[in-house]
Amino acid sequence: MQNGIIPAFELSVVSRHITYRKWRTFLSVGAVALAVAISIVFISIQNGFSDFLFDIVFRFLPHITVSPLEGENYIHLYRGIIDTAWMLPGVVGVSPSLAATATLAYKDQSDNVAMIGIDPAEADKISEISKNMLQGDIGSVLGGRRIVMGQALAKKLKVKMGDTVQARFPDAVPVNLVVSGTFSFGYKPVDESVTYVSLKTARDFLNEGDVVTSIDIKLKDPFQAQAAAEQLRSYGYNAKDWQQLYPDIVRTLAFERTQNAITMLLLMIIATFGIASIMNMLVQEKTREIGMLMAMGATPANIRRLFLLESGVLGLMGAIAGCALGLVVSLQLRGVQIQSGMGETMNLPIAINPLDFVVFTIIAVLLSIVAGYYPARKASRLDPVVAMRG
Amino acid sequence: MSDDIIVLKDLSKIYGNGVQVRALDGINLNIETGEFVAIVGPSGSGKSTLLNMIGLLDTPSSGQIFLKGIDVSRASAGERAHLRNRELGFVFQYHHLIPEFSALENVMMPMLIAGKEKAEAQETARELLVSVGLEERLSNKPNQLSGGQNQRVAVARALANGPSIVIGDELTGNLDTKSSDLIYNLLRELNRKINQTFILVTHDMTLAEKTDRILRIVDGKLVCELRRKGDLFIASEACELGEDGGKIKRS
Ligand SMILES: Nc1ncnc2c1ncn2[C@@H]1O[C@H](COP(=O)(O)OP(=O)(O)OP(=O)(O)O)[C@@H](O)[C@H]1O
Ligand SMILES: [Mg+2]
Repeated sequence: MQNGIIPAFELSVVSRHITYRKWRTFLSVGAVALAVAISIVFISIQNGFSDFLFDIVFRFLPHITVSPLEGENYIHLYRGIIDTAWMLPGVVGVSPSLAATATLAYKDQSDNVAMIGIDPAEADKISEISKNMLQGDIGSVLGGRRIVMGQALAKKLKVKMGDTVQARFPDAVPVNLVVSGTFSFGYKPVDESVTYVSLKTARDFLNEGDVVTSIDIKLKDPFQAQAAAEQLRSYGYNAKDWQQLYPDIVRTLAFERTQNAITMLLLMIIATFGIASIMNMLVQEKTREIGMLMAMGATPANIRRLFLLESGVLGLMGAIAGCALGLVVSLQLRGVQIQSGMGETMNLPIAINPLDFVVFTIIAVLLSIVAGYYPARKASRLDPVVAMRG
Repeated sequence: MSDDIIVLKDLSKIYGNGVQVRALDGINLNIETGEFVAIVGPSGSGKSTLLNMIGLLDTPSSGQIFLKGIDVSRASAGERAHLRNRELGFVFQYHHLIPEFSALENVMMPMLIAGKEKAEAQETARELLVSVGLEERLSNKPNQLSGGQNQRVAVARALANGPSIVIGDELTGNLDTKSSDLIYNLLRELNRKINQTFILVTHDMTLAEKTDRILRIVDGKLVCELRRKGDLFIASEACELGEDGGKIKRS
């Protein structure tokens, strides 16, 4: 009997209710729109932050680090570990490094820094050093007594490219190093206190043999890190994946995600209650008309569909308005400056994901239909004679 | 029998669980296609209840209802709705028009429920409104029309799907004599022209006297039946007419 997916009769009544009762429509659409908009903004900020944190993991931090065994200062037979690491699936870089603490002095300036001996080609795969070079290049450390340092540190020490700084430390062999490059990662602590030299320079400084303090491993897929680290541990190496190395990142993400999920759910439920009570009022108000529609031959199924359709349409309108509002607010928030954990100011990270809009629209429409279920059922069960009496 | 559009067999309706009200008590009644029937009786006698049974709006406690020879007394709510949509038209004391819709759209409603094309429904609705004298008022909303005009819209709506039976419960109860006569004449004309069956409940004896058959019920029982014979009414044998039947010319 009915033609089309949405029958003409139900649709005509629903569209009249919606266009005629503007205040009611505004209230129910507004409730859903606010819930959806706030949820969209929340999720955009959450996605922005997790992208930001993941970006650090993906681009600047190793996915797995092998450290010296318990009670030891150095990894001695590290070449075997490197060979083993290269056999793990999806490995893109394996970088041995030897970290030392040094006091760098130039004229009357001096500062304590981390002096890290690296194999520049491999280290670059872990931390994208060469992309962040301002002057010179990272490969230059291989050319003898050379040092590459953060721009911020160079400024503090008042050194320029080509100047010679002295590195010393108690128990270390003092060494003169020519500044052959500067970098800036944009994170003050790194830019002010990290320097790179060759592995050989670091060994000579520490007066050690063929040893390293860590082996950093980068994988194609960071989410394989746990399994790969597990495998390395089974060979007896002290390997940790990024989730163990930086538990704060994982905790932050998990906490934020749960908190936001709960908030969004509560918002949606409140909006749903709004629709439910407004639909309930409508059924109450329209009881006589429902009775007459039934007398004219509207079946209980027609009436149920009518009210479900109406709450679904209100939910859809709310969701669309909410998506638009959420998008506008998210875009505005992109320009907001915040203080990062590193002490730098940065733009609030906002990641707008079109799929979120689709998901929230579907959730809003489904919840609205659920909200309309009880009023719709109540309306469909009315006895036409009793209903017309009012 | 073959010409009977409605047959009621031993129909009873009891309301309430605690204090029971026997609203209808063993009604037996045949109504032929094309009859123009009035149901009269004191307030609370069961007129509306009887009409709602015939209109498939309510279900009997016992007994049977045959519509066009088919027993519909135990039909489901959905089946009864479909039958009402196709076979029955209703006009009540209050018009029950939908306030958000124009006269034209209100008349289209039963046709949209039936799944008819919108354009076709619109054309039929327009013709019906013209026939009830409202060609100037097609796009007016119920709150822009007078009581009598709204009731005429309701009549047009009752006729929308070309029902075989039109049922009216005090349909002129709220109207003045002039509007009331207008509507009555309209129904009478349709009855003559297309042999539609009309069953009207009324407490207005002058209106009842214009029909072809008067049924009087008291306390849920059919106590008297009068049939038109020219200008006179012939009573059935066991007829106890109440005081309100006094004016009727009987043989
Ligand atoms: N839903 C109901 N529940 C209980 N009793 C009812 C119900 N509907 C009707 N009745 C009772 O059934 C009896 C018949 O009612 P009905 O409405 O048919 O009377 P009526 O002849 O139409 O009266 P009126 O002329 O006043 O409209 C009355 O006693 C009434 O109180
Ligand atoms: Mg009544």
